[in-house]
Amino acid sequence: MSDNNEHIMAAFDRDLDGIEALVVKMGGLVEVAIHDAAKAVATRDLELAEQVRTGDKAIDALEIQINEETARTLALRAPMSSDLRTLLTVLKIAAGLERAGDYARNLAKRTEALAALEPISGTDRTLRRMTAEVQQMLRNTLDAFVRRDIALAEQVRQHDEEVDEIYNALFREFLTFMMENPRNITACMHLHFIAKNVERMGDLTTNMAEQIIYMVSGELPGDLRPKGDQTAFMTGQD
Amino acid sequence: MSTAKISARDVMVHYGDNCALKDVNVEIEDKTVTAFIGPSGCGKSTFLRCLNRMNDTIDGCRVAGAITLDGEDIYDKRVDPVQLRAKVGMVFQKPNPFPKSIYDNVAYGPRIHGLARTKAELDEIVEQSLRRAALWTEAKDRLHTPGTGLSGGQQQRLCIARAVATRPEVLLMDEPCSALDPIATAQIEELIDELRQNFSVVIVTHSMQQAARVSQKTAFFHLGNLVEYNETGKIFTNPQDPRTESYITGRIG
Repeated sequence: MSDNNEHIMAAFDRDLDGIEALVVKMGGLVEVAIHDAAKAVATRDLELAEQVRTGDKAIDALEIQINEETARTLALRAPMSSDLRTLLTVLKIAAGLERAGDYARNLAKRTEALAALEPISGTDRTLRRMTAEVQQMLRNTLDAFVRRDIALAEQVRQHDEEVDEIYNALFREFLTFMMENPRNITACMHLHFIAKNVERMGDLTTNMAEQIIYMVSGELPGDLRPKGDQTAFMTGQD
Repeated sequence: MSTAKISARDVMVHYGDNCALKDVNVEIEDKTVTAFIGPSGCGKSTFLRCLNRMNDTIDGCRVAGAITLDGEDIYDKRVDPVQLRAKVGMVFQKPNPFPKSIYDNVAYGPRIHGLARTKAELDEIVEQSLRRAALWTEAKDRLHTPGTGLSGGQQQRLCIARAVATRPEVLLMDEPCSALDPIATAQIEELIDELRQNFSVVIVTHSMQQAARVSQKTAFFHLGNLVEYNETGKIFTNPQDPRTESYITGRIG
């Protein structure tokens, strides 16, 4: 028995490698979209925001292409075991990346409204830190995917708690600003949606990391990771 | 108490000096389809043949270890292999109907085993067996024409009818669909699923898709070893042994 990791049928390897390359490419585009959207929000850069909005089409097109190639490979190669798990994972990662891309586009869309409003002091920096965390999580997730690295995927999973904590802190800050001065409400509502969207990107990335653990080990992580979003219980009175 | 129909312990098979099967331990469940998979020469057909002593007919073949059917040693001196094969029926790779009529093909076993006292009883067994093999509607108006005049898929169903006519408890199938087209294959697979209501079915197949479709338990053989035996769903989504993984994903021949 040979230990090599290649299929007897080389075309099968080419199919799988091709699909994985598409996922990595799509992940790269989403990473850039998140970065640029956050930058556009922070600097109220309308041109960059427009770039993110139009760039989302390429991300959506890649998801469609990944779905088609995966369906084709499922039909033609009847993959089993780790090959099957890889393709199931690819579908979920592509769906997650597409959603994350939509959130980035939503950030970009709100840039225009925010540009017309007074800045809310201090929160922009926190938002950028939060976005940078999520971007790093996504990069690690893609690395974990390519390297089949469970430890790195697990690290991403645990890291999401920090993003949730930043979101909790921002939520409190926005509440405070809005209570202080009703004129802040419009900007804070937009910024809150932005923060929420970034937090959701973190959740999506965490789901992808969990899917990678399944892909490699055959089992989803059993333990529930700590849920960091506490805002459902916040009243503004505490 | 396990629900094992057939239980094998430390089964070793030699053909002359050549060891074909090493220390196989397995419990085959009742009313379950069990698939044996593995590359050519891995020992899966050899093991299948141990289960109804078909290996007795091969010169130089020695079987060691213990195989029990419902707790009784099938290699015991008092066991008549012909009686055993009535209880443990077999269907082969190529449809091999006798050069007789459809009716006589199915009636052959019940006749030699004295299962029917009257013509009416025999008619009943023939009809029931052909119904079980999903061949009745196609064959009922031509029961006395030669079995060899049927299509390949129909011939294989005739062989299944012939095997179930002796009211076996276990049905062994050695690549029963490899000579059939996809439609006939689907019909046989549907039939295997129905047979599971009444029998324990053991099927050797080179088609992993077929093993995945029809069986509840799968055993993977490699180089004379039983490498892994588990729920079929588990074997095909997350096998535990790297050799199983390599084989089912198409990485070793």
